[in-house]
Amino acid sequence: MLTEASVNLLQSYRSGLNSYDEILDVKGRVKPHWQALFATLEKLGIDELKTRNQEIIDKLRENGVTYNVYEGVDGLNRPWQLDPIPFLIEQKEWNLIAKGLQQRALLLDLILRDIYGPRNLVRDAVIPAELVFDNVGFSRPCADLILPAPNQLVMYAADIARGPDGQMWIVDNRTQAPSGSGYTLENRIVMSKLLPELADGMYVSKLSPFFNSVQNTVSRLSGKNKEAPNIVYLTPGPNNESYFEHAYLASYLGYTLAQGDDLLVRDGYVWLKSIEGLQRVDVIIRRIDDDWCDPLELREDSRLGVPGLLHAIRKGNVKVLNPPGTSVLENHAFLAFMHNICRYFLGEDLIMPSVATWWCGQPKELNFVLNNIDKLIIKKANRKSRFRSVYGRLLTAKDKEELKKALIQRPHEYIAQEEVSLSTTPSLVDGLIEPRYAAIRAFLVSDEKGYHVMQGGLTRSSPVKDRFVISNQHGGLSKDTWVVSDKTDDVQEKITIPVTASVNKQPSLPSRSAENLFWVGRYCERTMAVVKFMNIVINVLNLDRNFGGSSKQEHIKILLQSLTHLSSTYPGFLGEDSQELLNKPYKEIIDLASDVNRQGSVASNVDSFLHAVGAVRNQWDIEIWHIVDLIENSFHEMKNRSSMNSSNIQKTLDKLYTSMLTFLGVISETMPRDNSFLLLDTGKIIERILSKISIIQSNFGVKNEANVENELIEATLLNHHLLVNYRLVYKSQLNLEAMLDMVLFEKSLPYSIVYLLDSLKANLDKLPETRGERLNDAQKAVLEASTLINLASVSSLSEYDKVSLDRKELFNLMSKVSRLISSVSMTLTNMYFSHTVMQHSFFKPTENDEI
Amino acid sequence: MKYKLTHLTEYNYAEPVSTYHSLVCLTPRTLPKQLCQGFSIEVSPTPAEIIERVDFYGNTTHYFSLHAPHKKLTVKTTSIVECLIETTGAPIRSDVTCAEARLRFMQDRPLKVSLLEYLLPSPLIKWDPAIVHFAEDCFQDDRPLYECVHALSRKIFTEFDFVPDFTTIHTPIREVLAAKKGVCQDFSHLAIACLRSFGFAARYVSGYLETLPPPGKAKLQGSDASHAWISVFIPDYGWCDFDPTNNVVPGERHIITAWGRDYSDVPPLKGIIFSSGKHSLSVEVDVIPVD
Repeated sequence: MLTEASVNLLQSYRSGLNSYDEILDVKGRVKPHWQALFATLEKLGIDELKTRNQEIIDKLRENGVTYNVYEGVDGLNRPWQLDPIPFLIEQKEWNLIAKGLQQRALLLDLILRDIYGPRNLVRDAVIPAELVFDNVGFSRPCADLILPAPNQLVMYAADIARGPDGQMWIVDNRTQAPSGSGYTLENRIVMSKLLPELADGMYVSKLSPFFNSVQNTVSRLSGKNKEAPNIVYLTPGPNNESYFEHAYLASYLGYTLAQGDDLLVRDGYVWLKSIEGLQRVDVIIRRIDDDWCDPLELREDSRLGVPGLLHAIRKGNVKVLNPPGTSVLENHAFLAFMHNICRYFLGEDLIMPSVATWWCGQPKELNFVLNNIDKLIIKKANRKSRFRSVYGRLLTAKDKEELKKALIQRPHEYIAQEEVSLSTTPSLVDGLIEPRYAAIRAFLVSDEKGYHVMQGGLTRSSPVKDRFVISNQHGGLSKDTWVVSDKTDDVQEKITIPVTASVNKQPSLPSRSAENLFWVGRYCERTMAVVKFMNIVINVLNLDRNFGGSSKQEHIKILLQSLTHLSSTYPGFLGEDSQELLNKPYKEIIDLASDVNRQGSVASNVDSFLHAVGAVRNQWDIEIWHIVDLIENSFHEMKNRSSMNSSNIQKTLDKLYTSMLTFLGVISETMPRDNSFLLLDTGKIIERILSKISIIQSNFGVKNEANVENELIEATLLNHHLLVNYRLVYKSQLNLEAMLDMVLFEKSLPYSIVYLLDSLKANLDKLPETRGERLNDAQKAVLEASTLINLASVSSLSEYDKVSLDRKELFNLMSKVSRLISSVSMTLTNMYFSHTVMQHSFFKPTENDEI
Repeated sequence: MKYKLTHLTEYNYAEPVSTYHSLVCLTPRTLPKQLCQGFSIEVSPTPAEIIERVDFYGNTTHYFSLHAPHKKLTVKTTSIVECLIETTGAPIRSDVTCAEARLRFMQDRPLKVSLLEYLLPSPLIKWDPAIVHFAEDCFQDDRPLYECVHALSRKIFTEFDFVPDFTTIHTPIREVLAAKKGVCQDFSHLAIACLRSFGFAARYVSGYLETLPPPGKAKLQGSDASHAWISVFIPDYGWCDFDPTNNVVPGERHIITAWGRDYSDVPPLKGIIFSSGKHSLSVEVDVIPVD
């Protein structure tokens, strides 16, 4: 069945084997359920596989799939890594695993209810009392939080891996806010897009039923069947390592992504601060850890949680998944007692064993651990500890003695585990298929019938050979996990994004997201305004240079100074000793483009733009991410100041400008015309008015000689995208009155001030009203600005003082309009965004390790 | 003896506070030695509701929140408590030695289960060799535990100075030990750390102490204070209170509001505010004997 080629494909693989292997049996033959996959891989060939691998890398980057690594070299946002070769597991075996997982989830749920209830497990000596009272997860304020549901443990994830006999073992439990299911989904989507043929000849179980089950459970918990429930996905924010997943799942499941500050507790209910006002929240799916949920009753220094949340939960007015307090189950010591707990609660044996674990708080176990320390991994029972797991065999004699001393001194704080042998599975590493250790995270959700197990999971394989580093925080490859059978009736899974949320209702827009969207619009336009004008100035400079530098340099000076005004990068070309800069302007221009630390520079605007975009990532669909990826590329190019010079700067500026324009284009073509769009667009228009006005004011505030003014008129028309229109109407004669007439009053031109003011008015009229029929301050300001413009006449605007040469009327009108439009921004901030007051605690916390 | 207790807390804010959430733990407990016959709490500005709850340790707490901007907040609690002990420092006869007590905690499983959280380190109470060393001469295996706790209480009382404002509630115990000064919370935390480090169960007690004016003088208003002391589990007897700050065994002038593993379980009043400015705080406590 397999040809020579596939034997070759696995040539280097074979030589690297030294433990249980997933694909080769003891005689070195490919196991039946892997044969179809390897037949396909063989057809593809290693070169094609490498190509596809690169496509996967590109796709994940384009889609913005990241896993933030706290101590990463360049800070945040490490791209997610996906191995093109999936992990295969037979449906028959998986069914058995699923049974084991369901039993485990049930047991953990029983433990949870017992610990926060009668504590029979302790009373009847099934577990030592330390597992409760010396467990940092045992949260006394959470003891009376009861979720009105059949299971308190709603979401559960288990890390499983193979023991030496090939049996799957449970290695670890995630019970408070399990992560990974979103990455699992994204892995599957990318695999089905880029390697669809890999599934040929087998049936791969679907992931979507799991997510449907999550949605059903959550809606049932909301207790609402007629009106749409308000469900919030609570994230710690963009700095969290799995923020991508939070945003991804929130939009996939159709829930509102919110941070702690977006919520408040009042009258015993939780409310979402949205731009439509306060909205009552029915269910919160939290991705913040227990301790951080409520600064009033838990960690006082938490800025991630919601003060009063526990009170609202106790009143039954909001359901939080998983209920705070569930981290009590993450204590490693439970693994040592699961067998007895199972017998105690269910009267049966564990279906799936845990990795062999000893709790050192018992004399016999302690002795065993001390005598066998070389074969064991030593961990603190409490997960949240600075103590890293230690492999006994890797310790120096001295460190080993130290550790033994610590064990004897505080035995109840430690557990020991057998080193799991793990199994190897093929990974594509540097163009070769090599064996790598792997473990799977499996996901469960409580539903009406018990626990639903996802038919698949997140396999992670070690980035290094012969050693297993499981934590995502330390890097590592992920794999799509296929539960396969030979039923070939349905070949390829179809992923359908459920549309429940948009069918139900428009999800609420939290004030914070609203504010970020507004600033996405502003920074985008601000960047483009500076880039556009910078390009115009460079063109003028180049023209001057090409013709040997004319004697009339005055227009260049004015344009350069306008650039300083526009970007607010004072003193710049306006400083007292700016003559040198004006003589050699490129240094300052390149600075203005690339210095990310200089406020007002192009790079700093793009940086702010990218931050704002990242903070509302659930708002964007995949196409927008692709554009953001392009913008990021130009950003990195732009920041590289040393490689920038007067001849190549325009190329980089053009690239950035085009990608930002594309961003706006995709936004206006694809984004629903809801409040999100309105705020982004409003931000864009406000910024556009301000920037256009700035240029008019600084170019024409003072009358210049006709030939200088002609240059300025041309530059201004270019800046308004109007030079062509102007020439069509006025031929080649440049005239200030004609220009002003066009850039200020021409209603059909999208960059004219009246057009922009009209659009701004239209947007404001559509935003949620807060004061009924009356105009709000923002609307009033726009009305006033429009009126001022409309009442002005070009001839009197063009007039100037014969002595000072000031165009007072023009200058003042521009100042007034600019002030009014800036006030619109302030008003919007006060109306919709002003929920970000700092939170303080009277009782400041300590670091717990202090004595 | 019957007391009327008033506890007035006033916050003044430099900038208006838009939102405030608070948890109050000031209700006297009803116990064999004291009856809480009345309790009221007044908050200004008036919150929409004040929610009463009994916490994990059986202490009564009150939760309220404010949502209108305010620059001043007052919380006033008033309680009537009847104390049932007639004399201060009722002598206890317990000959259980330290060694025996430790053995009992280890071997009597139900006892261990009920005491474990008072035997282990807690959020604000950990210990190091210096703390163990400090208490060493107080604890001898063959001496009665009760006497040893007395010795510890006396040692803290004689070696430490009561100095307000030197420490905050977050000053680590080892710093208190090094400086030999602090207030009742510090001395209680230190005493508990010593006791637990030697394998004995101790908890933190929060409450009030009636202060007596100097002979011949009238008592000043607001001169009393909230107070803290410790309770130690003596086998065959039960929980027994000690006040290391005053080196006395608490009697009827000590009124108990709450207990827990340490201060962090039972702060009298805590709150989360949303504001940009600073605040100042004043507290006035009166423990007035009534007929």
